[in-house]
Amino acid sequence: MLRPPAVKAKGLTRHFESRKGFFFSELTRTEALRGVDLEVAPGEIFGLLGPNGAGKTTLTKILSTLLLPSGGRAEVLGLDVTREALRLRPRIGLVLGGERGLYNRVSARENLRYFADLYGVPPEKRAARIDEVLTWVGLADAGDRRVEEFSRGMKQKLHLARGILHEPEMLFLDEPTIGLDPKSARETRKLVRSLVANGVTILLTTHYMFEAEELCQRIAVLSRGKIVARDTIAGLRRLVGGDRTIEVEDYGFEDLEVARLRRLPGVSRLFTEEFGPRLRCTLRVGTGELTEAQIRAALPGHAEMTVRERRTALEDIYLDLVEEEAK
Amino acid sequence: MAAVRSFSRRRSLLASLRLAVLTFLADPQWLVPSLIAPVIFGLVSYELFLGSSPWFVLYAILGAGMMSMWGQTLYGSGWATGQDRNLGTLEPTLSAPTPYLYVVLGRIIWNTVSGLLGGAIVFVVVALSYGKPVPLSNPLGFALLFVFVIVSLAAVGIVFSAAYVYTRYAGFIQNVGEFAFYVGTGCMFPVALLPFWSNPISLLFPPTWALDALRYVAIPGYHGLSWGLWGDLVGAVALTAVYLAIAGTVFSRVERHVLEVGNLGDY
Repeated sequence: MLRPPAVKAKGLTRHFESRKGFFFSELTRTEALRGVDLEVAPGEIFGLLGPNGAGKTTLTKILSTLLLPSGGRAEVLGLDVTREALRLRPRIGLVLGGERGLYNRVSARENLRYFADLYGVPPEKRAARIDEVLTWVGLADAGDRRVEEFSRGMKQKLHLARGILHEPEMLFLDEPTIGLDPKSARETRKLVRSLVANGVTILLTTHYMFEAEELCQRIAVLSRGKIVARDTIAGLRRLVGGDRTIEVEDYGFEDLEVARLRRLPGVSRLFTEEFGPRLRCTLRVGTGELTEAQIRAALPGHAEMTVRERRTALEDIYLDLVEEEAK
Repeated sequence: MAAVRSFSRRRSLLASLRLAVLTFLADPQWLVPSLIAPVIFGLVSYELFLGSSPWFVLYAILGAGMMSMWGQTLYGSGWATGQDRNLGTLEPTLSAPTPYLYVVLGRIIWNTVSGLLGGAIVFVVVALSYGKPVPLSNPLGFALLFVFVIVSLAAVGIVFSAAYVYTRYAGFIQNVGEFAFYVGTGCMFPVALLPFWSNPISLLFPPTWALDALRYVAIPGYHGLSWGLWGDLVGAVALTAVYLAIAGTVFSRVERHVLEVGNLGDY
């Protein structure tokens, strides 16, 4: 039998209103989400990418019951996030991360004990569970230290420990590695992978493309409150026109030459960028077509130009999609 | 599911109480004023009321005691929720399955206890300054009403806490109203001494009635509000009950409102 989706959102909208000024206040309305449809399968790591202000955190907060949608519907683990929030909360975890969100004057263990009680972790299992999660995130030796003495990385790990303390079936991770040093970020990614190995479904928002590429089975790109693409990374590569990216660079190209590049076999997209006196043409190309020799033949007056080829990265896909949406 | 939720609520209340005690002990910002401020209040109040009436020592105890208890219980309850905003712990706390009211109640229990401690310190300081046993016409009634006054302060404190969840500007509102509330409810001196027009506002708050009742019990010949001790007691109990009863509704509405507005992370 097919398992129902862990997350199912249909037509989610959310706007925020704020007032500026005291006597002659001006109402500002921001559309944070504009009709988001989303499905996340149980046991997968689903990545949510998007520029600042795209609506990632808003969507995460709605799905984790911290915010009500202005319109549309969302179910997490089969429960409506608006009407069945109290039943849903024990089954999900939320990691917002950052420096804030912890009681700094007390120890990490006391922070976890407090939240264990709020989430109804059975008292007879509480101490063992706290030890377990502290060990799991690598804070076993720091459990009795005050949180105010913690580095940012340690706080981030403590956030993660709190998020999984009550053994949630679904975890929302909002930029879990932001501001971490490379070693801590790598450890966090390792922890995320081991959670999924234990059957936890994860919705991950991140700005780091390599992180999403490394962790996520599927990705949605959110831009200005709308999902502009949603697929596996291979599917997204196809969507933006190919696995291969070829960069052709020299001290300027004529419009006709650029048009000639665009017409080469297999080229699905072409972008130009200026770098001081130099111009770079970036070509998205499907697998198995177009060679460097064909490019050089198309631009005979540019013997000194550089031609570089690499695999289309998630960052390329992301920028293509976001820039396209912005147009 | 219901059994799980009620179990979780009781534990949440105790967890919140425990965290409030630990935070209090760990934070000199609370510990020092809670122990030192009542001593200063007691000494100043004793000098202020010295010789003003045969029962000046009780006026001094009540005035300074209320100042200390008011700060700890009423102001502290709102402030603790404000701290949740500042620390960013309001979001993770509200994303837990327990209604936030139970977290607030745990804190208020601690604030009530620490408020009583402040009141007791004032009593000891003024009594020591007086140098003789404090004259109490009805010690048991005094003690019971002393505790009840703080319960009535806590009832108002819950509503103040809701305001802190509602908006990050609650601190501003509370700071503006702080002194008016202190004077208006008769903490320092009886409300009967205030202008008549202010009395209807004062009577909206349970501590006004409870404090007047306390003075009736403690000070022979006291003339406070015209309906006397029993009228004060009925009013105080009724209003405290009303405040406590509406607290649950207020909190669930405020929780819904902040989820609608989306200002939980603002600080």
